[in-house]
Amino acid sequence: MRLDDYIEELEPDEEAERRRLAKEKSYAITDHLEDFERNFEQSLSGDTLVGSTAPSIFVGRSNYPDIPIGLLSPVGDEEQAEEYVTDGKWYQQGYAIDDVLQRRTGLLNSSKPANVDSPSIASRLAPSVDDVWDGFVGVQREVAISDRPVDLEIGLDDTPDLGLDAGTDVATPRGPRANAKNADLRENPHVPKAVKKTLEDDDWQAQGAMTYLYRRGFDVYEINSILSAGALGETKQRRLVPTRWSITAVDDTVGQFVRGQIRTNPSINEVQVWANEYMGNRYWIILSPGRWEFELVEMKAPGSIWNPNPHDAVWMASASEGYEGRTGYVEETAGAYYAARLGVLEHLESIGRQAKCLVLREVSDDYWAPVGVWQVRESVRNAFDGAPGDAGDQGLDGRESIAGEYGEAETFHDAVAKVSRRLPVSHQRLRRKSELAAGLQSSLDAFSSGSLTR
Amino acid sequence: MFKAIVSAETLTSTLDSISVLVDECKIHLEEEGLEIRAVDPANVGMVDLSLDAAAFESYEADGGLIGVDLSRLEDIAGMAESGQLIQFELDEETRKLHIQIDGLEYTLALIDPDSIRQEPDIPDLDLPAEVVLEGKDLNRSVTAADMVSDHIALGVDETDEFFYVNAEGDTDDVHLELTRDDLIDLQVGPARSLFSLDYLKDMNKAIPSDTEVTLALGEEFPIKMYFGFAEGDGQVTYMLAPRIQSD
Repeated sequence: MRLDDYIEELEPDEEAERRRLAKEKSYAITDHLEDFERNFEQSLSGDTLVGSTAPSIFVGRSNYPDIPIGLLSPVGDEEQAEEYVTDGKWYQQGYAIDDVLQRRTGLLNSSKPANVDSPSIASRLAPSVDDVWDGFVGVQREVAISDRPVDLEIGLDDTPDLGLDAGTDVATPRGPRANAKNADLRENPHVPKAVKKTLEDDDWQAQGAMTYLYRRGFDVYEINSILSAGALGETKQRRLVPTRWSITAVDDTVGQFVRGQIRTNPSINEVQVWANEYMGNRYWIILSPGRWEFELVEMKAPGSIWNPNPHDAVWMASASEGYEGRTGYVEETAGAYYAARLGVLEHLESIGRQAKCLVLREVSDDYWAPVGVWQVRESVRNAFDGAPGDAGDQGLDGRESIAGEYGEAETFHDAVAKVSRRLPVSHQRLRRKSELAAGLQSSLDAFSSGSLTR
Repeated sequence: MFKAIVSAETLTSTLDSISVLVDECKIHLEEEGLEIRAVDPANVGMVDLSLDAAAFESYEADGGLIGVDLSRLEDIAGMAESGQLIQFELDEETRKLHIQIDGLEYTLALIDPDSIRQEPDIPDLDLPAEVVLEGKDLNRSVTAADMVSDHIALGVDETDEFFYVNAEGDTDDVHLELTRDDLIDLQVGPARSLFSLDYLKDMNKAIPSDTEVTLALGEEFPIKMYFGFAEGDGQVTYMLAPRIQSD
């Protein structure tokens, strides 16, 4: 196996550092891998893995555009296949980092190389991705659009590599991998009506189709796998999209749609401070009256996964947008920016308001393995009215109840000053890094004669 | 009725000053010249422009109102070579604008002015400080600040009587002081406000470096910037709302 298939984006030494951290923090994973090996041997008949159920897919990005595409199946735990799907339920159930790693390492990724535009590297002359229904790409597509796990038979080329890939900040960690020869469906997958509609309409731009699915009640997790498998968008534009990219694309697209919905809403009328805590990440969300403006500031403690040297200073990153959104790509905070923004926009839409919003994310050294950007999305979503997030080692009963209630402040800058006392960086450093903490954009109409508020 | 001939440079400068804020605008075709006023959708930046009849080679108008797509019109203006003249004639019946550049004829469909964002009322601001400087000094300040930050503070030191520019970034700072000697004129008053460089950079692009720019400032108040173009026959006023630091 090629090394770059394995490592999503890190330099080898960073990767090694993460593995070391992962080892120090949890032996449970190693035990778990042994169980997996036993289950796997029992499920194997000849070269073919039988009795397999795939709840989801994975599209890699190494060697783009000839990328590995994979079917993820929980070997030996087929009855519970649904539980292995990354989505908001993991948060609701209070999964800790260990739980996520166990789920993900229990999923075998049977993968095969494919070109993003055409079904297989060997047959570039074959039809483009949009109407491939057989072969490995076709089966992967069926799994992606189905709303429940699909029974499959997967033919493997070799025995799986049981190494653990600790994941990245955006993608969920992945488990063992095997090279697949082929895959066959053993049942007719169940595909929701709305998904059929976007699948069949080949004049529908991807953004519009994604928004349609979202409005029809599909969460970003489902839309993301449909987009990944090349199952929506204009015919000529359809292609396989690496999972990591599609997560961000869906958060951004859906976020832009919701932002459009709140643009003309009245503003909230007081400064509110919301909080949540989950998996060693703490979130402060400050909402302030005015037109939409958003910023995410991240502070990563020394010793946490992205800032491994315990003697370094707190690492900071930020990105922001004004009323009309961003024109450039987010250079810092990447996928977390779009995930957090979506969580806030959904809340504002639900209350029919708009606001200026500063999200502060503090990553402590308890966050020892990145579990994927879903953690950011769900923590922000649930800060407003959902279940508090901090399961930690204490289980569900130990959830600290900081989410779902807000504190009030006189002014935005007052709120920032108060919150900054509890941050690992000084108020001054925060003001230098944060566009919103430095100053909130006012509007001209606030200065028209007779008006006192800004 | 509207018939006019104008140089490509003058037209381009006019359009560029507006297009930094909006994609479409209304143009008032007054007897004495053109008037354009627009505000961006966020209500943060505003432009008020007039181009006198004297700026044209020939000009006839009687108070009409048209709506245009600015990028279209900019593309057309871009077809003219430097020094070439652009001829306009409005067809009142079809509501189309006929444009001619040396034999090239372009018929531009206009936008219904009612469908364009309402023109802003110009806030009546009492701004205590006034700074007159060369376009290139403003340009230098904005460019330097942009290297370290997304915002810039502009202010006047009342005691030592100078105009200053401050930008604080993540790690680096930019500071610039311009005394009476460096400025064309200075009227001292309490003034310090923070502005978004996203906006200021765009506005600055439209300000010629060899022109005289007047900045009117207050404390956490919008800035007003005026300058002339087309040999003084055109005037632009920008207004930009500050980023508020205090409350």
